[in-house]
Amino acid sequence: MKILNIKVLILLIFLSGILQMDILNISWENLRIVSVVHIFTSIFLCIFYIIPFVNRHAYKYIVIKKVNSISGWILGFVLLMIVLSGIYLFFIGNTGGDIFGIISFNIHLYGSFVLLIFLFSHRKKVKLHMSLVALIFGLTFINMPLYSTETKIENNLLNLKTQKDVIYHNEDWTNSTKCKSCHSDIFNQWANSNHKNLVESNPYYMVMESIAGEVEGSEFKKWCMGCHNPSALTTGLTRTSHAMDDNFLANTLFEPNAQTLVKTFEKHGNTRLEEGVSCLTCHTITDTTSQGNASYTLDITNRKKYPFEDDESTMGKYLGHKFINAKPNVHKDSYMKPLYKESKYCASCHDETSPTTNKQLVSTFKEWEASPYNNKEDKTKNKSCIDCHMTYLKDDKFEPLSGVSTDGGVVKKDVKVHYFAGSNHFLAGLKDKNHEEQVLQLLRTSAKLDVDIKNNQIHVGVENVGAGHHLPTGVADFRELWLDITITDANNKIVFSSGKLAENGDLKIDARPFMKVFGDKDGNPVGLLFWKYEKLLSDTRIPAKTRRVESYDLAKDLKYPLKALVKLNFRIYPQSITSMVQKAFPELPNPPVVELEKLEQVFEK
Amino acid sequence: MKSFIQVIIVAFLFITFLLFLPSLTKERNFKTYSDAQLRSTAKAKGLKAIPNTYEELLKISDDENNPMNLEKIALGKELFFDAKLSLDNTISCSTCHMISKNVDDKKIILNAITSKKQPNDIKDANNCVVCHLSDESGTDRLSTAIGYKGATNPHHLNTMTILNSSLAKYLTWNGEIKTLEQQISNSIQAPHKMNIKADELIKKLKNDEKYINDFKKVFKDKNQENLTFINIQKAIAVYVKTLLTRSSFDEFLEGNNEAISKDAKRGLVNFMNFGCSGCHTGMSVGGQSVQRFPLRHFAGIHDLRPNLGSPPDFKIIDETFPFENKGGYLGRSNTQFFRVPILRNVTKTSPYFHNGAVDKIREAVEIMGRHQVGLNLSDQQIDEIVEFLKTLEGNIVDYSKDTKVIK
Repeated sequence: MKILNIKVLILLIFLSGILQMDILNISWENLRIVSVVHIFTSIFLCIFYIIPFVNRHAYKYIVIKKVNSISGWILGFVLLMIVLSGIYLFFIGNTGGDIFGIISFNIHLYGSFVLLIFLFSHRKKVKLHMSLVALIFGLTFINMPLYSTETKIENNLLNLKTQKDVIYHNEDWTNSTKCKSCHSDIFNQWANSNHKNLVESNPYYMVMESIAGEVEGSEFKKWCMGCHNPSALTTGLTRTSHAMDDNFLANTLFEPNAQTLVKTFEKHGNTRLEEGVSCLTCHTITDTTSQGNASYTLDITNRKKYPFEDDESTMGKYLGHKFINAKPNVHKDSYMKPLYKESKYCASCHDETSPTTNKQLVSTFKEWEASPYNNKEDKTKNKSCIDCHMTYLKDDKFEPLSGVSTDGGVVKKDVKVHYFAGSNHFLAGLKDKNHEEQVLQLLRTSAKLDVDIKNNQIHVGVENVGAGHHLPTGVADFRELWLDITITDANNKIVFSSGKLAENGDLKIDARPFMKVFGDKDGNPVGLLFWKYEKLLSDTRIPAKTRRVESYDLAKDLKYPLKALVKLNFRIYPQSITSMVQKAFPELPNPPVVELEKLEQVFEK
Repeated sequence: MKSFIQVIIVAFLFITFLLFLPSLTKERNFKTYSDAQLRSTAKAKGLKAIPNTYEELLKISDDENNPMNLEKIALGKELFFDAKLSLDNTISCSTCHMISKNVDDKKIILNAITSKKQPNDIKDANNCVVCHLSDESGTDRLSTAIGYKGATNPHHLNTMTILNSSLAKYLTWNGEIKTLEQQISNSIQAPHKMNIKADELIKKLKNDEKYINDFKKVFKDKNQENLTFINIQKAIAVYVKTLLTRSSFDEFLEGNNEAISKDAKRGLVNFMNFGCSGCHTGMSVGGQSVQRFPLRHFAGIHDLRPNLGSPPDFKIIDETFPFENKGGYLGRSNTQFFRVPILRNVTKTSPYFHNGAVDKIREAVEIMGRHQVGLNLSDQQIDEIVEFLKTLEGNIVDYSKDTKVIK
């Protein structure tokens, strides 16, 4: 009788385990319930019933009755292995990189069949009992709701470009801090990157959003928030906010690893919305186009959530992690889509159109599309966005990082790093110098210089050798990339100089920055109000794989040999713009001028 | 033994059943109200619309001891934005009660950062002004007010919004002050605010020919000195009385059903049904009484977090308020009695509560629900109430436009 009870209970646990197998493919809502039932009942029953019973049973037969049953020994051993592997799977997890996790999984799965075989062969006599009736009753109970409750699928698709009706709740926006507990390296890379620091920790943006709202009306801010602050926009907020630390601005500009975000989440949970492009934003995009602005489709609610995943209590959080780690593949699939490796994915925000004049402001994706890097025939020559911007660099060369993206996960040959190295080394560098170094290394792979002096002219060639788009790209009206040239004659006297900084930090008028200059409908430079762009006043950017030559006249009768020192300099924001932003954010330092290339050459007559 | 087993099996089945409960129960349907019903209930509970015209404004706020007229308003405005009202000429009323002097100026930020014009002509305005002046919130939005030479409020109290404050029966955090004139005198003379004594201020203003003439024109008293401290108070008070804001909620009260969203209407139902409107009432939606806060205390051990990592974090918690008791302020005569805050524009006057310890409106609503009306509000209820509070957000009404007609 007792034995039969034990067998029935083990069978119940076995069934609840089997139901979770991938081949059965039961609906996610039911799977959640089954997994909770499986884990809690097995822990509870093992402690209070099965293990005490096995103890007494073994004592009774081995010690007192001196029966030596082989099937009993095997059964005991298999049971022990299953209990141990179960403990490992739940309390430590099966994250993929851990060989014990994989072994435990296999032992737990196949061992349970072995256990079942020995369980029913290990017996004296068979007797039908009322507990079997209970078993059948129990099974019908489990089965009935399994097939009768259909998961409610709400269509919460949201195209940010035309967002009108769907408004998310703070609680829907799973905080990036939650991702940190298992993806700590990736979290820290992202935390110092420009994707994180798009809003409150980016003084330039905060000022520009305020100006845009003031000049064009507060509705206009939505155009900015579509890419910069999707969580706020989709929860119905109309402006970007910033954290305060008592009477002062929270120190988000200089602190590494998003400390304010982590602290806030610990204290307030999801009641306080995380702003900016969070983990969830990119990893729940379902579709993108390169038309218009922020033309991606988000679906943050319609995903498979594990039991206790959203629980805020300490115990709930702990259990939530355990459930994910015990069966992480569903978690992985819900956040990773093939789309995320395509260049088109980035196009939704890295192509920009002015909503007032309908002119293309930023066309990084279209530039890439037209470049030789977009090679559909020869896949080996095709280089997508992530091949440069999410690949680790070392010694100014791409060196795919071998490591893990999940703590304790599978070792990958090329971990896609989330530094999002682009051109803005400055804001990342205020937080983390290693991060800045990644960006600078990428910048240094982009161009090559050559220089020649003849016919009383100096010709400097700049070739875009590394960038799969124009150089510079992005908000190229706010970027400064220029040639700094110094020529000294035989007496070591400077006979020519160009591209130096004035005392107030501005670039001197003689410099020829590679940039585009926007004009409004009357042909006047637009200045800060870049969305007023109608007429292109000038465009000196360098397209991918092309060379641009700048020629400067020299004075006559120079004393040879001449020594030419040419530098390709870069500054992320012009000094004049930084000075303006500093009026609102006095703690903002000046961005440094960085040297991307340097060439020194001596010319004999 | 047998019964024990059966208990376990029954328990197993029972737990299974419990876990399925959510998918077996039906969602509740709540009663809905028609717009007309809602409006009449709101009016019956004392919620009123802000006047739309100068004429109506006169009806509600004209005072025979300090009659309202256009010149006086203009003089009050001049004084309100004048930094001379502080000892070192750095602080005006508008430094803390941030509003824009020139309402029609639509390029405050752009001009400020391109150095074309300083906001409010304050030379050393704190940099928050650059972006926040256009909010029209009537407060500096800091946790604690900053006054003369950077002095903070001794009780870590924050600046209340000046908008609609003339509609309140009681003023300041403890509600001990009953007239605007009294509070204006206090703000000008308090050492941690503008820190200038009455006679010093008069001496200073008498150097200004324009003020002497303006006061003469406004107060028209031939026998007596016109430029007096009392008259300064009166002029500013009259200007403050015109700082009222109208919002979509007012339009709803006046009969426009489309003015506020469905969520906001449900929020209004919650607001009245849960008892919030018992205190937050009147035209200003608050400020009409002095009440105890918090009404209810809940035993709770905070920050005792059992975890498998570092040892639990013990912290002695001051249970006086449901948030950090920074500044140690305890309300009127240390009895935890506070004036009921005005809820108009509440969504643009964060941080919340007297010491600014709570940053987010949803958290503030949650606290008020738990400690004042004794309800653990659900996320949805909080959202709806916040949606309603958003409809109380509006800009300052320009009464001067109508006055030309009335004259």
